[in-house]
Amino acid sequence: MHEFAIAQSLIETASAEAQRVGAQRVTALYCRIGVLRQVAGELLAEAFYIVRDGTLCETAELDIEKTYMQATCGQCGQAYPIHDWQWDCPVCGAETPSVTGGDELELVSIEAEVADEDSCAQEHLSAQR
Amino acid sequence: MKIHVLKNIFQRNDNAARENRELLDTSNVTCINLLGGAGAGKTALLEAVIPLLADSLRVAVLEGDLATTKDAARIDALGVPVVQLLTDGGCHLNATLVQQGLQRLPFHELDLLFIENVGNPICPASFDLGEHLRISVLSIAEGDDKAAKYPILFKDADLIVLTKCDLQPMTDFDFDAVTRDLRRINPEAEILQTQARNAAGIDPLSTWLLSHCRPSSMASVK
Repeated sequence: MHEFAIAQSLIETASAEAQRVGAQRVTALYCRIGVLRQVAGELLAEAFYIVRDGTLCETAELDIEKTYMQATCGQCGQAYPIHDWQWDCPVCGAETPSVTGGDELELVSIEAEVADEDSCAQEHLSAQR
Repeated sequence: MKIHVLKNIFQRNDNAARENRELLDTSNVTCINLLGGAGAGKTALLEAVIPLLADSLRVAVLEGDLATTKDAARIDALGVPVVQLLTDGGCHLNATLVQQGLQRLPFHELDLLFIENVGNPICPASFDLGEHLRISVLSIAEGDDKAAKYPILFKDADLIVLTKCDLQPMTDFDFDAVTRDLRRINPEAEILQTQARNAAGIDPLSTWLLSHCRPSSMASVK
């Protein structure tokens, strides 16, 4: 059920970004969601297509990249994926990893349409400077 | 055109959680998020342990539920401050709702605040409320496969409490199997076995809580 809250937040964030660069319409949202967030992709998409009505994202598609648990070994620094709760470092066997991935919940980028793309892109670039 | 965003979608919740934690830190309150499925025995655990803490800590409870004030009434009967947070059908507490609850508590006169989350083994685990510690609860009645089925409930727990252990003879619940699963998911958390109805295992829980709370300023208050 928290998929609705996430859909809402995605749309708010994307719409704010679109407004910031003077875009009229968001056509795609690219988000990254880690397995630890327990978000059901299908439910999120369903919620998204309901919540998007009447917003700048009204016709936007949602692209969800699922990410998995990653760790870095506290002893030897090796980065490795964690499958089936196997925490031990595959290189040195240490059991002191720090989890570095799998809890992402990010709007990575959006695709937006602007009336005069050149001038808006310029504005966006100057805003970033 | 493509616009690079890279923003945390839970920014609003995480900001509110940070504010909650800062507020609790300023007031020297230790806050525990109590998580578990519906009927896991979270409220019964609080009813059993709070009286043991009353001499050394000033305790309060934020009670999260979908509806009714039944749980808050049970805590109120213990004589400690309690605020009922109703999610109106929502499946988890969020940091903003907790923030509203905090405003209704005398938090500057507390040592320990329990937040009893909505009974649900899934969503609540994904929401930071601003707590300092997490206790995850699993009852014998739920079955010994639930640690493996809901691993994220237990992954970040500082303490795991198995409840209703007196029911074990009536079930095929396998303590060794569940302990193996829990250890795999969370190698560090202590695991306690409790029976709230006859107070077995409640002393170790009280000891754990006392040792994980900041020192009380109760002595200086008295």
